[in-house]
Amino acid sequence: MKKTVFGLVSLLLVIVLFTGCSKSNNGGSAEGSQDGSGIATTTPAGSTTGSTMKEEHTISFLNYSLPSWPYDKEWLVWKLLKEKTGVTLDVQVPSGELNDALNLTVASGNMPDMMLTLESELAKKFGDQGALVNILEYVEKDLPNFAKFMEKYPTLIQNTLTADGKLYMFPSEGLGVTNAMIYLYRKDIFDKHQLQQPQTWDELHAVLKKLKELYPDSYPLTFRNGLDKLLNIAPSFETGDKYYYDFDKNEWRYAPVEDNYKKMVEYLRTFVKEGLIPPDFLSIDTKQWQDIISTNRAFITIDYIGRIDFFNKSMRQENPDFNLTFMPTPAGWKGGKALNAFTQIDESGIMVSSTSKQIDDVMKFIDYLYTEEGRDLVSWGQEGTTYKDIGDGKKEFTGGYMDLTDLQKKTGLATYGSNLWFNPDAIIALASPELKAAYELTPKFVDKQQPKPAFTPEEVLILTTTGQEIDKFRLENISKFVLGTQSMEDWNQYVTNLQKLGVDKILSMYKTAYERGLESGSAE
Amino acid sequence: MAETFVRKFNQSKYLLLLFIPCLIYYILFRYFPMFGVIISFKEYNIFKGVINSPWVGFKYYEMFFQSHDFYKLLRNTFLLGLYKLLFGFPAPILLALMLNEVKQRIFKKFVQSISYLPHFISNVVVVSMILMFLSPSSGIVNQLIQAFGMDPVNFMSRPELFRAIYVLSEVWQHTGWEAILYLAALSSIDPMLYEAAEMDGASRWKKTIHITLPGIVPVIIVLFILNIGSVLDISFEKVFLLYNPAIYETSDILSTFVYRTGLGQGNFSYASAVDVFTGIIGLIFIYSANSISRKVGETSVW
Repeated sequence: MKKTVFGLVSLLLVIVLFTGCSKSNNGGSAEGSQDGSGIATTTPAGSTTGSTMKEEHTISFLNYSLPSWPYDKEWLVWKLLKEKTGVTLDVQVPSGELNDALNLTVASGNMPDMMLTLESELAKKFGDQGALVNILEYVEKDLPNFAKFMEKYPTLIQNTLTADGKLYMFPSEGLGVTNAMIYLYRKDIFDKHQLQQPQTWDELHAVLKKLKELYPDSYPLTFRNGLDKLLNIAPSFETGDKYYYDFDKNEWRYAPVEDNYKKMVEYLRTFVKEGLIPPDFLSIDTKQWQDIISTNRAFITIDYIGRIDFFNKSMRQENPDFNLTFMPTPAGWKGGKALNAFTQIDESGIMVSSTSKQIDDVMKFIDYLYTEEGRDLVSWGQEGTTYKDIGDGKKEFTGGYMDLTDLQKKTGLATYGSNLWFNPDAIIALASPELKAAYELTPKFVDKQQPKPAFTPEEVLILTTTGQEIDKFRLENISKFVLGTQSMEDWNQYVTNLQKLGVDKILSMYKTAYERGLESGSAE
Repeated sequence: MAETFVRKFNQSKYLLLLFIPCLIYYILFRYFPMFGVIISFKEYNIFKGVINSPWVGFKYYEMFFQSHDFYKLLRNTFLLGLYKLLFGFPAPILLALMLNEVKQRIFKKFVQSISYLPHFISNVVVVSMILMFLSPSSGIVNQLIQAFGMDPVNFMSRPELFRAIYVLSEVWQHTGWEAILYLAALSSIDPMLYEAAEMDGASRWKKTIHITLPGIVPVIIVLFILNIGSVLDISFEKVFLLYNPAIYETSDILSTFVYRTGLGQGNFSYASAVDVFTGIIGLIFIYSANSISRKVGETSVW
């Protein structure tokens, strides 16, 4: 008897919990989407100019911020946006990772009107699953300025479209310049020992050896994130990181099986062997990397352009001569190309929930961010408060901001979610002379932007399974080749094994997806 | 019937009250999430939810069994778990037996406290300590090796060393903590047995073999069965923090694979299929260990 009663009670409990949860799930999403679509069709479309929507709105927004500039609802940028559009943003900022928060929010069926994403792939995924509004359906009605923007940046739009030609994310443009990755070197150390900037990888090898002789405890070339940096090195060797489009041959190729890729690996292998790269470089994280650079144990590195000011500002307090600055990219060989990978991409963007009850208002708000006026507003702020005009259409910050982070922290300008179209001049205006020079020099050494084909959900499944297997195999073997724990004689075996795993299958998927994108692009 | 139930309920109502938080915990966090395993048979659409996603049968299980990594992942997970059991299981028993022989109370308490402290250090800290100590450029271990005139060893890039490093660090971290259970079992042995043995002239060694060990055998067996069940259930975060591509060959295990495909690639259905598989293997292990133990001895978990 006791057992049966207990059994009944627990069964009942389970049933209650189960049905309770599924009910709320279903209810939430079904109701939401009905209302959302209802409004989209019945509300009379407002006139196309932004100025008519002065009436007050509150739009909920899942945003994100970084510890160096935690979100603040008092930021000037929100006040300015409210003045212009009448929109108050009801912002939630997740305490953990944005991707986890997005997954949870979408799964809960209770989505805010807008959500920020840092990866356009995520927008494609959620969009394919029905959680997001296809922006293209609203372009004619609500988005006149975004339509102009689309004409201006066709590649950006193309890269954001899904395989079936839908747009689920408002892309960001302008802040990408800060994502440029370049070679950085300690100019003060080079000048002190009268060393020349290396023009090729052979010269790089020689200069690293010299530095190692001068500073035996150092690892002259140190970078973080292990093999990720092959992406930045590869263009000088006329190859790529993984799958890449060869603009000379007009075809998709898989880099890690190419002879040029092998040359790159051999250089790194020699560097590790001779102690020019730290032996544990695979596990060097940001913190360790910063320690090594700031304790004068590395003199060349590859990283974001903004690291010039980051290191110089803090290091000059104790060593006024400290000068980490732009170094021209060394070519793979004499007469070869000297290029960095094109990393000036900002993948973040704003997604609109399909369950939102005010899609048209959200669209009109976002459209303002794509006007010239809106672009200036979110880049420079308010005339007289944050900037002044200095003629020739040029502007200068006046708020006494030390650097970009300081501006972000004090005004919210250039933070996530406060802009979609940004004027990079505002970033450069805050840079030190060295960083400004670097911004000017960087475009000379940058490779062409790689196309980014959109895959169908079935293709994504293959990429995340077979593609992952291939990549794990590549990563494992390249690590061993570079560390010297695997003989270079095994290279051919490695190439054969990669092909056995199905590189050609993935490669032809890239080709198909790329051509599909070109066709849909020309059809529009 | 009903009367006896009411009486029994009244007798133990406070015990039942104490039991409630535990029951709620298990229902909420252990049993209820189990319904989630159905996403491994579905093409999980995060927006439509678990119920409305389309069924795909064993698609993801087949994909996993046919994957090139399947055998390697299973082998790595199993071997790592086996070594952990082989070396990690006897260690706390030995420690408890040794502590039991220590007569000086203060020294015994001191050793006991020190030895279980590492259990409270988070895995993140433990792993960064390991990486720092073993660093080929600045680690203390390599400085010692070099002081003896030998070449430094790049520990974290040698696949053959990974299992040893992992198991040793696990032993260091958890031995002291796990010894507490055995010490408790030891204290419940009747002192009269020792007195009688002394009368018969038994040495300390003999007493250990014939009284102490048999006294804690039931605890050992129960813990052993539970441990076997978790052979495949290796602390994910520690391996994840510790490994790098150069040692994938021995360090990539089921749970790190699940993390990379599930959370890294957003392939929830595939990842949960792998996880369900791990769970089933664990269940088979624990069930067989239990039935063997029931046949051979009289102690078992159920």
